[in-house]
Amino acid sequence: MLKYLATRLALTIPTFLAVLTLVFFVVRVIPGDPATAALGDYASQEAVEALRERMGLNEPLYMQYFQFLGDLARGDLGKSMITGKEISGMVKQVLPYTLELTLSAIIVGALLGIPIGIHTARNSNTLVDYIGRITSLAGLSVPAFYLGILVMLLFAIKLKWFPAVGGGDLSDWKSNLSHLALPSLTLGLIMTASVTRLTRSAMLNVLNEDFIRTARAKGLSERVVVFRHALRAALVPIVSIIGIWAANLIADSVLTETVFARPGLGKMLVGAIMQRDYTALQSVMVIYTGFVVIINLLTDLVYSLVDPRITH
Amino acid sequence: MKRFVIIATLLATVLILGACAQPTPEVVEKEVIVTQIVKETVIVEGTPQVVEKKVEVTKIIKEVVTATPVPKEPVVLRYADKAADLGTMDPHFAAATNDRNLVDMIFNALVRYKPGDGTQFEPDLAEEIPEPVIVDGKQVWTFNLRRGVMCHPSEQVPAYELTADDVVFSLKKSANPDTSAYAGDYNGMTVEKVDDYTVKITMEQPISPVLFLPKVADYAGGFIICQKPYEAMGAEEFKTHPVGTGPFMFDSYSPQEKVVLKANDNYFRGRPLLDAVEYRFMPELNSRELGLRSGELDVINGAAEGQWVRRMNQEDGIRVDVYGVGEVATIHFNLTVPPLDDVRVRKAIAYALDRDEFLALFGEPVAANVYSAVPAQFLPGGLTKKEVDELGLEYPLDLDKAKALLAEAGYPDGFSLEVVSSERESYLKNYQSMQAQLAKVGIDIKINTVDHSSMHKLIRQDVNPIVIYVAWRPNADVYLTRFYHSDSIVVTGAKPDTNFSHYTGIDDLIEQARVELDPDKQIELWKQAQIKLLEDMVSYPLQYQNQVTARRDYVDYGHELKSVLALYPQITENTRIVK
Repeated sequence: MLKYLATRLALTIPTFLAVLTLVFFVVRVIPGDPATAALGDYASQEAVEALRERMGLNEPLYMQYFQFLGDLARGDLGKSMITGKEISGMVKQVLPYTLELTLSAIIVGALLGIPIGIHTARNSNTLVDYIGRITSLAGLSVPAFYLGILVMLLFAIKLKWFPAVGGGDLSDWKSNLSHLALPSLTLGLIMTASVTRLTRSAMLNVLNEDFIRTARAKGLSERVVVFRHALRAALVPIVSIIGIWAANLIADSVLTETVFARPGLGKMLVGAIMQRDYTALQSVMVIYTGFVVIINLLTDLVYSLVDPRITH
Repeated sequence: MKRFVIIATLLATVLILGACAQPTPEVVEKEVIVTQIVKETVIVEGTPQVVEKKVEVTKIIKEVVTATPVPKEPVVLRYADKAADLGTMDPHFAAATNDRNLVDMIFNALVRYKPGDGTQFEPDLAEEIPEPVIVDGKQVWTFNLRRGVMCHPSEQVPAYELTADDVVFSLKKSANPDTSAYAGDYNGMTVEKVDDYTVKITMEQPISPVLFLPKVADYAGGFIICQKPYEAMGAEEFKTHPVGTGPFMFDSYSPQEKVVLKANDNYFRGRPLLDAVEYRFMPELNSRELGLRSGELDVINGAAEGQWVRRMNQEDGIRVDVYGVGEVATIHFNLTVPPLDDVRVRKAIAYALDRDEFLALFGEPVAANVYSAVPAQFLPGGLTKKEVDELGLEYPLDLDKAKALLAEAGYPDGFSLEVVSSERESYLKNYQSMQAQLAKVGIDIKINTVDHSSMHKLIRQDVNPIVIYVAWRPNADVYLTRFYHSDSIVVTGAKPDTNFSHYTGIDDLIEQARVELDPDKQIELWKQAQIKLLEDMVSYPLQYQNQVTARRDYVDYGHELKSVLALYPQITENTRIVK
């Protein structure tokens, strides 16, 4: 197990390096630069050039690249090219918002998706199943930003149950949870659709297996058959889809955080792109890559927990 | 056991609820002694006279009290802007609209544009607007500073009185290209301290007040920063910890979320009526709109569309304000690129375009037509519709004339051009409308849409034969110099800027107007320059696009909204929430 973990971690280094190199050069290929974006159209060319110089943008590209890698190796994410603030400090402020959103969306997605999937599988080809399948298909087809607006219109404007925008105060759990409700519901609902469909098909396969028939023949209650025997056998694909969604949700947070005007890594990424804040953009991408790598690793490890046949 | 658990749970619930409950308010009567001024008629030497006299009176007042006093909720204005994040709060680098809005609340200048009306100047840190005098051929402006103006306290430096040292330091900073994006505006200006409350500004070349005052007004480089905190914290830190003298002072900055400003209790015009301003970064219009409708926001940056304005005005408790200054959209033709190097082709394009069709894209009251490079509605020196009409330079829609001119120029079947446009609606809509209108005379335009920042970079590299540019400039000289003076020609000019047309025909008029001290003659020179631009069809003025903000109806800005250079409704010490 430890050997497997060490190998997987070692393999992340080339992945990181490839992503960083790609991001570093791609952001610089896009026309426009931080100096032009920062000073706007009123500033003279002379002022823009002076700022470019101060930002170090006139240095040769390879020097900028090695400087960036060197800083990163020392664990230094650098300073924002626009505000001059330490990026690690900025990330520290916004990361909890993204993490709580992702985590709560996974909880919503799993808590709704798995039971609905099981229920529709047990009642396949009935009205309940049809409704479940159509609803989950619709859920998969609705973009996060559009669903977010619909959710806001219903729960914030019409019913006035939750606030529509903002992230709330992290030190005040009431404010924090009320601001988290609608974005996590939005992302959670989209994930629910996917988890429902996969749980349904996995359960359908398992429910027709011989060992389930045997369990039933032994006189076990239906609850025990479904939850202890069938669900356990169907968990591997379900864990897979949850793992995939965990990574997807971090990416989807870009849209959700923008629509709900929540602080977070996604909003930071959008801001960095709009402002051409190269250092901030690179750092956010490093963090995103790290998350995806960790989530994939965790998913692999969970496989062996839910299915003893899988060994590393 | 089960019963015990139930009772214990109920007891705990009661205790928790009791602890969380608001204390019951009681009304008590209280005796207070107040001093009143009363008027009395006394007889002095046989003549009755009214005199004022101070007397102490005991009054009984009713007061609402609670066992634990309920703290007063601070009055906070929640403003949402379309920006994704802060750029800088160093006013001499603040260029984005959100940055300009913030510095407008934090800093003052020697003079200021009247709140809500960008056409009038009034004293700000200066006691009055001085009259310039000529000394040895140079123009001298002497400003007497107000006493008792306090710089905001900061972590490094406690609050202190602003003096001439701060003003001199600040204006010198504005003139330095390393510490200001507006250094070019301060060429030929010397700033000196006469005494602690007097500053002398000498202009090598005398200029009219219309051109001088914007340099020392609350816009761009004119903002006065406090020297000691700037030096103590350094330029980089100052971007996110600004220290000025304005009605609001910096409190906190949460990246991608908001900047919080709190009231400056020592503001020289009196303590602001608001306790704080929360300036939120919300790039998505739908989110801002829903935030306003749900009552979580008080003011939002709206959409520059007549339809949006009408729809939002129908919402209960919401009012939309449409006001200047309007950013002017102009079509610039590159005179060095065939076939646009032929004046007949440019005139043909002008006759093929219909201003009203462009205008309909934005709809009134958001936009209105303009007829010259300088918008006559906001600035002295612009040409009105009547004036261009009388001169026969309006170029009204006439497709036959357009086709005839194209044929005469050797393009009876039209031609093709390729342009880049910003993704922003104020640009893209105009490009698309131009594309559709010119197709009627056989001119085929291919539009490549790029993001806004990329467009700015590309058009400055001279990639577009036709550039649509939307901009506000503080006076006619800046408009004409930066868009039409030969020094400003993109790439090849002495100071490459935004002369996209490569035009060189009005340098002398711009320069004469700049040094003309008689305001009427100066305006006349600017008008002549613009008549020449229209005669040569160097550019085709389209429309100005106003600012649009929506607010809850309990927000009172404290001034009438006509035009604001900072491109927001302006939040001052008089802004309040009336619920």
